[in-house]
Amino acid sequence: MKAAGRLAKRLARAMLVVALVVAGSTFLVRFAPGYLSDAREMDARYGGVARVELSAEAARSTSLQQMLGTELRGWMHGSLGISRQYEVPVAGLVRQRLAVTGGLLLRSIVSAWVLALCTALVSSARRRQSLLWQLPSALLLAVPTAAMATLCMLSDQGGPVLVMTLLVAAQDFKFLDRMLRKAWQQPHLLQARAQGMTTVRLIYAHILPSISSQMLALAALSIVTGLSAVVPVEVIFSVPGLGQLAWGAAMNRDLPVLLGVTMIMAVAVTVAGMPGDGAGEWQGA
Amino acid sequence: MRAGVQSYRIVASWLLGGFVVIALALLVLPGRSYASQDREHLLAGMSAQHPAGTDALGRDRMVRVSAAFLLSLAGAVLAAAATTVAAAGVGTLAAFSPATLGRFAMLLCDVFLALPWLFLLMMVRSALPLTTSPAHSAAVTFLVLAALGWPACARAVYRGALELRSAEWMLQARATGLRRAQMMRHILPNLMPLLMPQFLICIPAFIIAEANLGALGLGIGEPLPSWGGMLLELDNSPMLMRTGWVYLPIGLLILILLLLEAVAAEVR
Repeated sequence: MKAAGRLAKRLARAMLVVALVVAGSTFLVRFAPGYLSDAREMDARYGGVARVELSAEAARSTSLQQMLGTELRGWMHGSLGISRQYEVPVAGLVRQRLAVTGGLLLRSIVSAWVLALCTALVSSARRRQSLLWQLPSALLLAVPTAAMATLCMLSDQGGPVLVMTLLVAAQDFKFLDRMLRKAWQQPHLLQARAQGMTTVRLIYAHILPSISSQMLALAALSIVTGLSAVVPVEVIFSVPGLGQLAWGAAMNRDLPVLLGVTMIMAVAVTVAGMPGDGAGEWQGA
Repeated sequence: MRAGVQSYRIVASWLLGGFVVIALALLVLPGRSYASQDREHLLAGMSAQHPAGTDALGRDRMVRVSAAFLLSLAGAVLAAAATTVAAAGVGTLAAFSPATLGRFAMLLCDVFLALPWLFLLMMVRSALPLTTSPAHSAAVTFLVLAALGWPACARAVYRGALELRSAEWMLQARATGLRRAQMMRHILPNLMPLLMPQFLICIPAFIIAEANLGALGLGIGEPLPSWGGMLLELDNSPMLMRTGWVYLPIGLLILILLLLEAVAAEVR
């Protein structure tokens, strides 16, 4: 009963966070000084008076009540509003691209975890921390995602999955290595090793269960890292996913699309964080 | 291992200091400006006049890289300082306020953290006017980084401050009637071991974020040099065919970030 209550409380908090993210994003974008900017304002052929007139025209055609009413109606109908840029329902745009981004994220995160876990298991089993094992992850984390994607494209080696895998794996390795190193130092494990228990059995029976809650939290962090990397990676590799859609919407101040993508990202991050929080709480209890 | 890390940190700090001095020297040399163009030498290779060649507009690459380095480092340091101060304020006040206020502050942090950072940055940065001057765009970029970087740090400070609140010496201080302002004088030095690593971690994170934003076309505007703007040069295939010096910014950026990470590692 208590567990159900805790779960309900956590779900309510998650929903509140998502609702606040959407409300905050609407407020932020709608009241941002550049929301009513028109691309024609950048055109040198338009004089100062014409530019002022363009701004006034944009302000007249998009009153706050009118906009909010349209947005709300769109959400009620399930179409998530009409895109300013493409003039089609946002739900249709998002649905098409969700599978592309989801597939890209799933493949990258799974590959990254396999790579990071295998490397961290080997690296942490060594008594002394070696710079040789730490350097690749440090190096990868020092390269901006956009630069890594551009370099991959220039060298014609790898694609979006490789870039995201390397980025997520580098971050995961850093944490996994630290967690595993700490786990190997536990007195009961030293005792078990001294008694001749095999390394594989130690890992399966003792180490992995003891760091499971931390691994869940790290999995949530992997999703956040992956979602952050999705935007530059999809833009540079021209992958028709949510990241590219969000970038296009941001560049064109397409509020309905931006809000749709924001909500999906907020839900993904909040839901991803829930198992980690729960495991931590249960372990703490 | 600790002694080794300490020596890396010293070497990294000296190297960073050296880079700053060289960059400053390159910028103050007469006749060198990041915006001045040499129309006779567009996309030129290495020469006595331009040691790292020129870009597509004939601007000296070495000078531009130096200016970008100094600009991003100064901007990131200031933004990291602002973020750390904000996080220290929010975290400490939340921990020492009534529980409801503290929970509300952490809910606010959760709202900020519910969106991937780069996405949030992109959204805020794109919502600014199109006709922003380059200097304003640079200020706004780092201001946005500072404004959005505090929640993760504030959460850590909140946890640390809560621990301090229930520490025995704090209970003793409260029992003896120490005022809140007086308590803060004792709390902040005790939070320094938490704040210093956060500050140092933020610097490379902000430089990377600026580079990513710039590469998406949402960073510092031209003609001001920036890492992100120079990374965009890598998209220009004819330029890559003519000179290998276009890789200088990315190489140097990685080196600077590794040095900053090495400085932060020991403190962490």
